Amino acid sequence: MKTVIVVHGGAWAIPDDISKASVDGVKNAARAGSVILRNGGSALDAVEKAVRTLEDDPVFDAGHGAVLNTNGEVELDAIIMDGGTLAAGAVSSVRNIANPVTLARAVMEKTDHVMLTDRGANLFAESIGFPSTATDALVTENERKEWEKFKKYIVGVKELFNPKWGHDTVGAVALDSLGNVACATSTGGIRNKMVGRVGDSPIIGAGGYADNRSGAVSCTGHGEAILKVTLARLILFHMEQGKTAREAALTSLQYMVERVNGGGGAIVVSPTGDWAAKFNTERMAWAAVEGEVLSYGLNPQEDCKETFQSK
Amino acid sequence: MLPVLVVHGGAGHIPKERAELSCGGVMEAVRGGYSILRAGGSAMDAVVEAVTLLEDNPAYNAGRGSVLNVKGEVEMDALVMDGRTLGSGAVSAVRRVKNPVQLARLVMEKTNHLCLTAEGASQFARAMGMEEVPEESLITDYARMRWRKNLAPGANPVECQMGKMGTVGAVAVDVEGNIACATSTGGMLNQMAGRVGDTPCVGCGGYADNKVGAVSPTGHGEAIMKVTLSRLILFHMEQGKSAEEASDLALAYMRERVGGLGGVVVVDPQGNWAARFSSLQMAWAAARQGQLHYGLYTGEHFTEPLEKPSQ
Repeated sequence: MKTVIVVHGGAWAIPDDISKASVDGVKNAARAGSVILRNGGSALDAVEKAVRTLEDDPVFDAGHGAVLNTNGEVELDAIIMDGGTLAAGAVSSVRNIANPVTLARAVMEKTDHVMLTDRGANLFAESIGFPSTATDALVTENERKEWEKFKKYIVGVKELFNPKWGHDTVGAVALDSLGNVACATSTGGIRNKMVGRVGDSPIIGAGGYADNRSGAVSCTGHGEAILKVTLARLILFHMEQGKTAREAALTSLQYMVERVNGGGGAIVVSPTGDWAAKFNTERMAWAAVEGEVLSYGLNPQEDCKETFQSK
Repeated sequence: MLPVLVVHGGAGHIPKERAELSCGGVMEAVRGGYSILRAGGSAMDAVVEAVTLLEDNPAYNAGRGSVLNVKGEVEMDALVMDGRTLGSGAVSAVRRVKNPVQLARLVMEKTNHLCLTAEGASQFARAMGMEEVPEESLITDYARMRWRKNLAPGANPVECQMGKMGTVGAVAVDVEGNIACATSTGGMLNQMAGRVGDTPCVGCGGYADNKVGAVSPTGHGEAIMKVTLSRLILFHMEQGKSAEEASDLALAYMRERVGGLGGVVVVDPQGNWAARFSSLQMAWAAARQGQLHYGLYTGEHFTEPLEKPSQ
């Protein structure tokens, strides 16, 4: 059976100076995930690997490169979900962890719970010997500068989701050779967020959802809007009703604009390998591997193709 | 048919000696919330009032009376949602707050975020001038006794869990047709520090949409999350199912797919309501057109005039 992986690096007004790095980053992550699928690995392993690759890439707001909260600290959210069992693991507002997606997977596999938050997530990480990083190790020089610039302009409360200020959650969805789907999403949230703010990413049904019967979704964009419409679950609901991945994503994104005035993007894969990467923000870096074709894009309607090479 | 208010005091297996307490509290909460609706108040005011009464009542696992986590601490989750705007507010793993549901409402009304967690939620509470209460004031002898019992060697935490899963919640439609939901919980007995259940997750622990209805669930949190129970019920209602049919379908699905038990209270925009559960018991009460309805065991449905003194 064919395998598919789709990844995104966040839906927002990606500035030109990091557009190439963003596209290269999602292509790398898609390749890394695809290699696992080609070797008979699981969808779960593939999405974890792809998201880890993006977390490690400082160009993205997740893991290394995450944005800072109002106190100048990094707080990370992540989720992973297995479409075969509906098992899920999530962490919210976790600190000093370079790969929150892997910690989320440990929550899924090593506890009876789905979600751990804040110090509880760190206590759990310690208890299983999960590697921690120094507080500033995840902060890039660029982010510190941007954050300081941001602090100078006291923005009105309603303006926090200004796409110019950066907002690039990362995520992946995959279909493996056994027909299992999985999703993973990871983020540093939005710059200058309140301490303890939890967005859509770690919330099941909002930041991601995976079900072997309907498909897998990972979302990005205005977190509060995504939560209000439970975007990931909404897209899969439309697919359960017979819509294609593309139609379901577009219908749901349009609904989110109309109902709660929120922009964003989503990547989707169905159990038969029908996939889509759609957004209504200015840009979203995305890449997908299906068979021997690596597809990718950044601007609306862009769909570049090249032959897959594992590098 | 409007206004209408339905509340629950948790699904699970309620020990006989506590059954009366459990029923009395939900009836009192429904009277409190319904008097607001009858005076022309909003659905949001009514559900917050009803849930506040249940949080203050030590017979329930929310606010005072919450279960203790494995470290012997009280960490609480709460959610409110406004069906007109899809605005929502939530707190997770918050400590030393008397009424988490009121803090969740402040998150919705005073921030541009949707969910605040742990210490960040406490900081916000302080900034809002909300009183910080001593942890002891939230802990009952009963909660401490059960916590000790569960720490004892040979204790079966899963079995003990069945004793009391009393998350509380409410759904309402006001005379203007606005719909709201609220849910609040102390979580699972002897849960890991930082464990977040379904309650503060939009679409899992509650959902409200003026166009479809509102749901507040209770039961096995991890199972509720895996099927995004609240949103699932409303999807069925969007497809033309009644509140009762949609609840039964979704609860049966949760049992089959992930082996989870629970219960829900549901309203639709016309004022039809349902209180359904797959667990042994769920304390529930509803008020509509001058009548008070209540029950505890499957199939139980008592009705009496609201005006009659409860003795």
